[in-house]
Amino acid sequence: MVADRLPPPAAREVEDRIMDFVRRELLSPEVNVDREDDLLSGDLLDSVAVLRLAAFVEEEFEFKIQPADFVIENFQNVAVLADYVQRASGR
Amino acid sequence: MTIATATPMLLHRMIDEAALRHPEHPAIRCDGETTTYEELARRANGLARVLLATGLERRARVAVLLGKNPRVPVAFYGVLAAGGVLVPIDPRSPVEQVTRILAATGATHLVSEPERRQVVQQALVACPEVSQVVGLEADDGLPFRCQPWSTVFEEAGDRPPDVPVIGLDPAYVLHTSGSTGAPKLIQHTHSSAMSFVDWAVTEYSLTREDRLSNHSSHHTCFATFDFYAAARAAATTVILTPAALMMPASLSSLLERERVTVWYSVPTALVQLSLRGQLETRALDSIRWVLFAGETFPEKHLRRIMRQLPGARFSHVYGSTETNVCTYHHLPESGELGSPLPIGRACSNARTLVVDGDLRPVPDGEVGELLVRGSTVMSGYWGEPERNRQVLVRRTSAGDLEETFFRTGDRVTVLDDGNLTFVARADLQVKVRGYRVELEEVESALLSLDPVEEAAAFAVPDGEGSSAIWAVVVAGDGAASSREEIASAVGKILPVHAVPAEIAVLESLPRTPTGKVDRNALRARLAAGKGQNGG
Repeated sequence: MVADRLPPPAAREVEDRIMDFVRRELLSPEVNVDREDDLLSGDLLDSVAVLRLAAFVEEEFEFKIQPADFVIENFQNVAVLADYVQRASGR
Repeated sequence: MTIATATPMLLHRMIDEAALRHPEHPAIRCDGETTTYEELARRANGLARVLLATGLERRARVAVLLGKNPRVPVAFYGVLAAGGVLVPIDPRSPVEQVTRILAATGATHLVSEPERRQVVQQALVACPEVSQVVGLEADDGLPFRCQPWSTVFEEAGDRPPDVPVIGLDPAYVLHTSGSTGAPKLIQHTHSSAMSFVDWAVTEYSLTREDRLSNHSSHHTCFATFDFYAAARAAATTVILTPAALMMPASLSSLLERERVTVWYSVPTALVQLSLRGQLETRALDSIRWVLFAGETFPEKHLRRIMRQLPGARFSHVYGSTETNVCTYHHLPESGELGSPLPIGRACSNARTLVVDGDLRPVPDGEVGELLVRGSTVMSGYWGEPERNRQVLVRRTSAGDLEETFFRTGDRVTVLDDGNLTFVARADLQVKVRGYRVELEEVESALLSLDPVEEAAAFAVPDGEGSSAIWAVVVAGDGAASSREEIASAVGKILPVHAVPAEIAVLESLPRTPTGKVDRNALRARLAAGKGQNGG
């Protein structure tokens, strides 16, 4: 998947930190995941892993995810999650 | 297309009939897409033709390994129309479990999809009996023959294949986990499934206008209601995708958008929806029935969601994969709910009996094992005559009438008002988020790991109405295994829901005077430890 444009450096950093957590903590080593791969297909993560991901994001970027933000559009893949984190955490 | 009305209704005939009467009506909604009854019937016929053309014999087992998508009902009705026996497999099963189910049922065909190619490929290495796979591309260099889904669509057509099936023929085999690691395989006939379906359609007054949500995976008995009861009423099944189920606020807006009228799930899913679904911002007045089963519904959560969905009636249904729903209790719209919540009375097609260890009825108010007799009860565990003799017991009642009852293994009591109340499981089977787990299975998986010498698993309440599994292991001398290593290793053996949420490494296990692992002592010890950590 080719990105339309390269994300700005801050965005890239947010994305890298999320991606690193997903790869290191949530997936088995042999699974590879891309920034636009569907995390919510049910085949990669289960609901517990998604909750861990949310907890990580809150702690790492020091903000509280509002219940109304807990939606597919914000968690579908690492790219949209990083976007959301930037908007919501004011980074 | 003609429908033989002189024969009893068969599961796959329901969609032929719905397609004939209401061809344009949506049978399935999933991710915003519609499958009409005509399309569903045509595709099911296409799959049936592909299966027959690749040598499917009558009553041969066809395993189905699919995610939550519109291929599921095509597989269900296609296999049945071809005269096969459906074996839906949990798509989250590890390869070993898939292999065990394929081998135990002697499946000759498998219906799957490209997303599951890796599991299929690995599982079939050990299952040479499976000669045909539908749903994978043929040019993959796979060691078995494949027909892609595009062939099924090319073969789609109006005319169902002419395969004789009677109501007492097996329709599907559902699996649970088993204590020795071998899954229990529960066999239902067209008649036992249809009996449940007809009861459900009548009791909940299902019509073509209804839209039933499908929360659970296709291998569970919940899906029996979601798909087959909907088809019987020519209603619509709304398949909830994993993404929606992981995001309660998305789920609630989906329910609003799809105008879902009937919901059926374990309480856990409703608790999540109630706590995190933003229900106050959604218009969910289309929901008229909420059915729940499988676990205890904590009263505070139940009362809250009843307030959040004031237009809905709530129904506590009880049963197991072996019996389908056999008792039910519609909750009063106001006043006391009863604590614990009753499991109610026998369905109109079932009879219940509470007995002692010698199968003699106990007086009302006393605790005994629940026996069930009815047309929804399974025909037996696949390939296990000995276990069938133990659970399908013959009992002589007034006069010389000999009747067969299913032993549920559940301890219940009859209240003054005639309602049944669940007391406890008679054995060590527990439910985790609606999935049945046997603690011995968890223990045997832990014990299969090299460094583990002793293991004990037990269930603790997770605070949201479900149970979590905790385990304690004793590692061998010199084995420097960490909890993380053990957790990761056991995660490769067990299905996700059976993997312990907490694993503690101890030096020894507390035991009762008879030498059994003292689970109560362990539970108390670990709970105390968690409490100190503020957990």
